[in-house]
Amino acid sequence: MLDDLLRIEREFNQALDEAGSDPDAVEAIRVRYLGRKAELTGLMKKLGTLSKEERPAAGKAINILKQKVAASLQNAADQAGNARRTARLAQERLDVTLPPRMPWTGTVHPTTHARRELESIFRGLGYTVESGPEVEDDFYNFQALNMPPEHPARDGADTFYLDGGLLLRTHTSPVQIRTMQNRKPPLKMICPGRVYRRDWDATHLPMFHQIEALVVDEGITMGDLKGTMDVVWKRYFGGRVRTRLRPAYFPFVEPGCEYDISCQVCAGDGCRICKQSGWIELGGAGMVHPAVFEAAGVDPELYTGFAFGLGIDRIAMMKYGIDDLRLLMENDTRFLRQFPL
Amino acid sequence: MLVSTNWLRELCPVDATPEQVAAALTARGLTVDGVDRATAAGDVVLDIDIPANRPDCLGHYGIAREIAAAFGAELAPPRNLQETAAPSDELDRLVSVTIEDPELCARYTARLVREVTIGPSPQPIADRLIACGLRPINNVVDISNIVLLETGHPIHTFDYRLVNQGRIVVRAAGQATPFTTLDQLERRLEPDMLVIADDEGPVALAGVMGGADSEIGVDTTDVLIEAAWFSPLSIRRTARRLGLSTDASHRFERGMDPDGVLAAQGLAVHLLEELAGGRAVPGMVDCHPAPWTRKTLELRYQRVERLLGYDPGREAIREALSALQLAPEDGAAGRVRVLVPSYRVDLAYEADLVEEVARHLGLDRLPSTLPLTVAPSEDETVHPLAERARNILAGLGFHEAFNYSMLPEGGDRVWVPDGTLPPVALSNPIAEQLAFLRRSILPGLLQSVDLNLRRGNRDVRLFEIGRVFLPTAAAGSRPDEPLRAGLAWSGLAEPRHWSRDDRAVDLVDLSGAVSGALSHLQPGLEFREERSTLTCFHPGYAVSWRSADNRELAWAGRLHPELLARFDLPQELFLGEIDLDAVLAAGPRQFEYRPIPKVPAVSRDLSLVLGAGTGYRQVVDLLASRPAPATATFEAVDRYVGSHVAEGETGMTIRVILEPYDRTLTDEETERYRMDLIEALESSDLPVKLRA
Ligand SMILES: [Zn+2]
Repeated sequence: MLDDLLRIEREFNQALDEAGSDPDAVEAIRVRYLGRKAELTGLMKKLGTLSKEERPAAGKAINILKQKVAASLQNAADQAGNARRTARLAQERLDVTLPPRMPWTGTVHPTTHARRELESIFRGLGYTVESGPEVEDDFYNFQALNMPPEHPARDGADTFYLDGGLLLRTHTSPVQIRTMQNRKPPLKMICPGRVYRRDWDATHLPMFHQIEALVVDEGITMGDLKGTMDVVWKRYFGGRVRTRLRPAYFPFVEPGCEYDISCQVCAGDGCRICKQSGWIELGGAGMVHPAVFEAAGVDPELYTGFAFGLGIDRIAMMKYGIDDLRLLMENDTRFLRQFPL
Repeated sequence: MLVSTNWLRELCPVDATPEQVAAALTARGLTVDGVDRATAAGDVVLDIDIPANRPDCLGHYGIAREIAAAFGAELAPPRNLQETAAPSDELDRLVSVTIEDPELCARYTARLVREVTIGPSPQPIADRLIACGLRPINNVVDISNIVLLETGHPIHTFDYRLVNQGRIVVRAAGQATPFTTLDQLERRLEPDMLVIADDEGPVALAGVMGGADSEIGVDTTDVLIEAAWFSPLSIRRTARRLGLSTDASHRFERGMDPDGVLAAQGLAVHLLEELAGGRAVPGMVDCHPAPWTRKTLELRYQRVERLLGYDPGREAIREALSALQLAPEDGAAGRVRVLVPSYRVDLAYEADLVEEVARHLGLDRLPSTLPLTVAPSEDETVHPLAERARNILAGLGFHEAFNYSMLPEGGDRVWVPDGTLPPVALSNPIAEQLAFLRRSILPGLLQSVDLNLRRGNRDVRLFEIGRVFLPTAAAGSRPDEPLRAGLAWSGLAEPRHWSRDDRAVDLVDLSGAVSGALSHLQPGLEFREERSTLTCFHPGYAVSWRSADNRELAWAGRLHPELLARFDLPQELFLGEIDLDAVLAAGPRQFEYRPIPKVPAVSRDLSLVLGAGTGYRQVVDLLASRPAPATATFEAVDRYVGSHVAEGETGMTIRVILEPYDRTLTDEETERYRMDLIEALESSDLPVKLRA
C-alpha cells in the first residue's frame, strides 16, 4: 500500500506540474485525486482488508498524502486564480496620458504677487501692514510731510485734485502720518496701496502701487535703514543683490536718499536695462524729518525713524521680465494666467 | 540742468575726468543723468538733476562749490565782485528804486551801463550758451543768461530809455490789467501779482519775465540791470497762475541768495563793459529794506551717531562742515556751531547738518544694521478680507485684473442702485475716460472682458478687488471707500474636456461662485438670495444676497441685452460684485464648530409642483418654519419643466434631511413630520401641490 501511496504522490506531482496555472486542468486534477472516485478514496475503503497492526500507520499515511494533495491543489488553484485576474486586469486600462478633468484654475495679478512676497518678507521682520484712504486731504498728503502750500517739491507730485480741497493721494505716506497719530511708538509698519499721479506715458501710469516702510523708535539710525534694505532686497531678488544709497532730496526725510540695487540683468557690469550704470533705482528713503514727526505728534528729540518707498508694479516688472507697462492694466487673460496662485 | 565742464574747470580746477566729476556729484546728491561729449564742440556737458532744495546749485558756481568740497580743491573767488556797492550821485540822479512790500521783495539792486553797442556775442560766449541748451540772441541778452548760468541768480536787463526816468517801483499790480510779456503774449495780471513798474505802469513781471515794452532792442544803448530777491511764494503763485515757468521763476520760487545780487551785478557790469563796449555809471542802487542776518545752527556731535548709526569723530565732522564752507566753531559743550551761508536756504534743522556730514563723508560709510524694534499691533488697519477674497476667487478659477479707479462721465450710472449720490469728479482729469471716481468695480471689468473677447480670448473669468468711492451727504468730507470684489464670467462653464459636451456659463454658475465665495469669506455667515433691481442686469436674471441683518452683501446678474448690444459682445456675460465691508460687518464675531451627530441622518423626498411665480426659497421658508423632530435641512434634488406639468408650473423634488444628534428617530416620528409638511404646504397661500 505504501508503494501505491508513493506512486500516487509521484503521479499527482507530475500532473500538477503539467497543469501549470491552467485553472481547468487544476480542477480536473482535484476531481481525479480527491473526488469520490479517486484512487486515494478507494485505498481508504481498502483499509479494512489490512491487519489490525498495519491499519493505523496506513490510515495515517493516506491522510497525510490527502492533506498534501489538498494543500498543493489549493496553492495551484490560487495561482491559477491570480493568473486569471491578472489576465483580466490586463484587459482593463485607461489611457493615463489623456488630459485629466481639471477644475478651472485662477491666478493673482503679478503686482499682487510682488506685493505679497514683499509683505511676507516685512512681516517676517516684524512689520505690521497698514492702510488708509485713497482720497486724501492736503494736510495728510503734503503739509504733514513738510510740504506746505506752494512748496516746489509739490511740482513733482502731479496731483489729481477733487472738489472741497480733497485729492487722490500721490503716495502712501499719508498712512504713515495717520498711523503715527493713532499709535504710540515704537512703530514698525508698511503701507501698501494704490496711488495716483497725473502722468501717463510709456513708463508712467496715472495709477500705480506703492509700499512704504516706516520704523520709529528710540535709537533708529540710517544704518538700520541700510541694513533693512540689504535684507529685504536680498530676500526678494536673491542673495547676490547689492544695495546702494545716494543722497537725494525729499521734504519728508533728513538725511534723505535714493536707493539703488545692483542690476539683475548684468549683475552690475552695465547693460541696456541699467543704462550701463550697473545699478537700478528703486525709490526714495531717509530718516524721518523732525517736522514730519511734529506734524504727527511724535517727539523728534526722543524718537528717530527711517522710511522708504518703492513702486510695486516696477518691481514686479523687474522680477518677471515684463517689458511693457500696459500689460499690467489690460487684463488680457493670456498674460494674467501666467501667474498662478 | 545742462552744465559745461569747461566752465566748471574755470571756476574750480580739478584733476579729474568728466566721468569722475559726474560720479562725485552723484554721490553728493547732485545726480548726473548724462555725460554728453557730442553736442558741444570741445566741451563735455553734464545733465544734472538739481534737487528742489538746492537752488544754490542752479548755477555753475554752486556746482563748482560742491566739486571743490568733493575734491578738496580751491574754488575761484566770484568774478568781478564790485569793491564798492556804495551809491553814487550820478546814479542817484538817473535811477531810483522804491519797494512797497519788503515781504515780497526784500532787496532790489540796480546798475546802469551806458553806451552799449548791441551785436552778436563772441563765439566762446555763444558756445557756452549752446552747451547749456540756450540760443545766443545778442550780446546783452546773452550776458544776462551767462550771469544766470554762472551765478545762478537771475537778473533782468531793461532798455533804460523805456523805463520812465529810471524810477522803479516794486509793487503789487493793484488791479487786473493786461500786460504783454517778452514772449509777445498778452497776459492778464491779477491785483496781487508782483510787478516792477515805472511812473506809467508795469515794465516787468517781477522774477518771472520782462515786459515787451522795455525790452532790449537793436538800438538800445543804456542798459538798466536789475538783480533782486523776490519772495518764493509770490513768484510761484504768479508763475503758476499765468502758466508761465521761466528760468528766472524756477530759481526765485526755490529761494535765491539775497547776497547773490552782488556777484550777479558785478559779473553783468563786467561783461557789458568787456563784450558790449558799455560804460558803467559808478555805484549801485541797493534798496535793502529788510537786511538778512546769517543764521547760526548748532549740531550736537552725538546727534550724528544717533541719526547715522556710526560716529565719524569730531574731527571728521568739523572737516566736513569746513569743506562745505559752513565755518564750524565750538558751540556749547558737545556741540559745533555753524554760520549758514546766505545761499544755503535748505539748512534750517540740526538734521540738515547731519545730512551735510553724511553726504560729504559718503553714504557708503553707513553701517548695515537691523533695528531691534519690536512693535506688534493688535489693530492692523489693512482690510481683513482683502487677501482672503483674492485667494478664494483665484481658487474658484478667476484671474485677478486691475482697472483704474476712474471712469468716464456716466460710466457707472446703471451699475449703482437708484438714489446713489453722484460720483466724485476729478478737477483736473488726465483723460476723459478717467474723469470720475468709480462707484462700482463692474464697468471696468466689462471693459476688460470686451478687450479679451475682441482679442479672441473666449473664456474669460476675471475678478478685481479694489475700492469704490461713494460720496457722503456731508459737504467737503471724504467719500466712503468700501472694498469690493468684482467678478466677470463669459464663455464655458467648465473647462473644455473630451469627456463631455461644452456648456456655456449661466447665472447659476456665477451665483454659485458668489455664494461659494461668501461662505468661504466668513464661515458661519448666513445669507439669502432675492431678486435684484440693478438696471445693468437682465431684469429676469439678476440676484442679490442679503445677510440675516438685511445688509446687501453681493449682487450678480446677466449683462443687460442692451449693454451686450452696445458693446457688441459676441456672447453672454455674467457679472457679480461682493461688498467686502458688508460681509465683514455681517459676519459672526466668532465662529464655533457644531458637534457632529452620533446617529445617521434620515431623509424624505417631497415631489411638488410649484405654481407660476413661486420661488424655491418661498417653499423652503415655509417648510423650515414648521417644528421638526431634529435639525432639518432642505435640498433641491430635481427640477422639471415640460409636458408633464402645466405651462408656467415647475416640478420640484425637495429632499428633507433630518439630523438627530444622538437619538434615532422612529419611522412614526419621521412620517408624522412629513405629513405635517405636506399639510402646511396644502393649507398655505402658496400655489404648491403634491405631484401625483
Ligand atoms: Zn545692467
